[in-house]
Amino acid sequence: MKADYLPQSVKVLQKRDESADTFTLRLGMKVDHDPGQFIQVSIPGIGEAPISISSYSKDYLEISIRKVGNVTNALHGVKKGSSLFVRGPYGRGYQMSKLKGKGIVFIGGGCGVAPLKGAIEYVEKNRKDFKEIDLFLGFRSPGDILFTSRHKDWENHFNVHMSVDQIPSKTCYSGNVGFITDTLNKTPIQAKGTVAFICGPPIMMTKSIQLLAAKGFKDTQIYVSEEKLMYCAFGLCCHCMDKGNLTCLDGPVFRYDEIVRSRDGKA
Amino acid sequence: MDALYRLEADKLDIFLQSLGPDIYAPVKTDAIRFQKISSVKEADLTALADVPVKDFFFRQREQLFKFTKGKIATEIKDAPFRIFFGLRRCDLNAVKHQDFIFIEKYKDPYYTAQRKNTLLFGYHCDEALNKYCFCGSMGLEEYHDIMFFDKKKYFLLNPGSKVGQKIVSEAKLKRAGTLKKKDTIPKGTDRLEKKDISKLFENSLWEKGADECLSCSACTSLCPTCYCHEVKDDVKLSDLKSGERTREWSSCQLKSFTRVAGEHVFREKRVDRFKHRIYHQLVYFKERYGVNMCVGCGRCITHCPTTIDFVSLINKMK
Repeated sequence: MKADYLPQSVKVLQKRDESADTFTLRLGMKVDHDPGQFIQVSIPGIGEAPISISSYSKDYLEISIRKVGNVTNALHGVKKGSSLFVRGPYGRGYQMSKLKGKGIVFIGGGCGVAPLKGAIEYVEKNRKDFKEIDLFLGFRSPGDILFTSRHKDWENHFNVHMSVDQIPSKTCYSGNVGFITDTLNKTPIQAKGTVAFICGPPIMMTKSIQLLAAKGFKDTQIYVSEEKLMYCAFGLCCHCMDKGNLTCLDGPVFRYDEIVRSRDGKA
Repeated sequence: MDALYRLEADKLDIFLQSLGPDIYAPVKTDAIRFQKISSVKEADLTALADVPVKDFFFRQREQLFKFTKGKIATEIKDAPFRIFFGLRRCDLNAVKHQDFIFIEKYKDPYYTAQRKNTLLFGYHCDEALNKYCFCGSMGLEEYHDIMFFDKKKYFLLNPGSKVGQKIVSEAKLKRAGTLKKKDTIPKGTDRLEKKDISKLFENSLWEKGADECLSCSACTSLCPTCYCHEVKDDVKLSDLKSGERTREWSSCQLKSFTRVAGEHVFREKRVDRFKHRIYHQLVYFKERYGVNMCVGCGRCITHCPTTIDFVSLINKMK
C-alpha cells in the first residue's frame, strides 16, 4: 500500500434526490470494484469524506449521501456536469464471487441501505448465481424511503420486506409500520446455505445479529458493514482502528466472526 | 558492525563540525529539545530529551498538496543534510519504527523527503535515565549511523551503517576493541514484566489508570512512535478558492478521534481510549507488523500530568 493522498478530478454525470436529506451522485468513473467498497470524496477547501459505493456498473459509479456534515452538505450543492475530487475505491467489500450458489438476506436501515444497494445490483446482474434473495429495508418514515425507483425491479426478482418506524400525521402511506427487525423476526428464513449482509444504525445491526443467531445463522454467515471516522483510507492514519482491525483496509465489510472480539470485550 | 573506534573527548566538536553545518542535538531551553547547535557544548546529555525528534521527519503539520481554483499540486522538498547527535537507544528505535511504517510499508513521500538526508548519531545510556525507562523490556535493536559510548576522557564510536563506517574511516580513528551485545543494553531498564497483555483487556486495574487520566493527550504528543493523524483543508480568506490540504498529528485520547456523523463516538469512555493507546502500542501494531511499536522511552509516564505509570499497572495485573 502506498501513502497517496492525491485525489483525481471526476465529472458528475447525474444528480438525483432520494429523499429530503439524501441524494445520489453518478460519477464518470470506470473502475473495477467490489460492492461495499468506498471512495474518498472531496471538495478542496471543505474537506474529504469516505462514502460507500451504492451501484454496481462498469460504466459509472454512484454514491448515495445523507446530508449530515460539512462535506456532505457541500456535496449536495454540486451540480450535474461539474467536477469532484475522488480517491479510491478502498477497503474490502462484499466478495460476491465467493458466495456463488448461496441465498442472501440483505438487512439495511436508513442510509445503510446505500452500500447494500451495490451488492443488490450485483445480484440483479448475476441472478442465476444466487438462490433465494430477501431484502429487509427499514426507514424512519415514508419520506425517508430510499431508491423508490428501483423497488419495482427488486420486487420482481427478490422477496422485498419493507417497513417504516413511524408515520407522521397527514402522511399517505399504506405499507408496513414498525421496526424492520420485527419483520425479520416474524419471517421464516432458511439459515442453511444462506448468508446475511447487514448495514444500518448500530442498534439495528446488533438486534439483527441476535435474531439471525436465533434462526441458526453462525457468525461466519453474517457480514456487517462498519462505519468509522477515517482520513487516509489506506491504513496509515489509524482513526478507524477498532480493537486492532483497520476498518479501511480489513473492512468496511467484515465477516462477523472476524470482529466479534471487538464486541465481547476481548483485546 | 561491532567494531569500536576511539575519539578523544576534546576532538568531538571538530569531528562533528567537519561533517556539515546542520548538527542537531538536545538543548535545554524551556525543556530539552533537539535544535541546531554550533558547538557540542550547547548539548544537554544529562537526561532524556523531553521532546523526541519525531517532528523533524513526521511533521506535526504537513502540507499534502495545494489547491487553486479546482487544480491541485504537490510541493515536496527534500530536507537538507542533517546530523542528529545525542539520540538515545529508545529514540533511535523510534525512528526505526517510523521508517518502517512510513518508508518501508507506505512509501510516504512527505516523510521520506524529510528523513532521507539524515544521519543518526546515538549516545549510549549506561543505565536507566530515570525511574520510568523500560527500553530493556521492548526488544530494541541497533539502529544508528554511529553510536557514541561516553568514557569521559574519550568516546568509543560504533559505526552501524556504511555511511557511519565511511565517516569513521575518513577521520582515521583508531580501532579500540569490539562491541559486546551485553554492553548495548542500558542497565535497570527491564521494567515491564509481562510481554503479552492481550489477555488482560478486561482487567479491572485499567479503570484505575483511567481514573487518573485527564485526556490531555500529552502522552501521544510526546510519544516518539505515535503516528495517528487527521487530514484537513485550509482555505485562504482572500479568495476562498485556494488553500492547502494538510495532515496533522491527532490523539486517540480525545473523543473527537472516533466521532462520526450524528455525533456518535466509538470510544466514549475514557478507559476505552486509555486502553486503546496502550493496546495499539503493545498489541495491535505487533499483530499486524510483527514488532512492538512502543520503545520504552517512558515519556508518556514522565510527562503525564498525573504520572500514570501503566508499566507498573500492567505488572500488578493478574
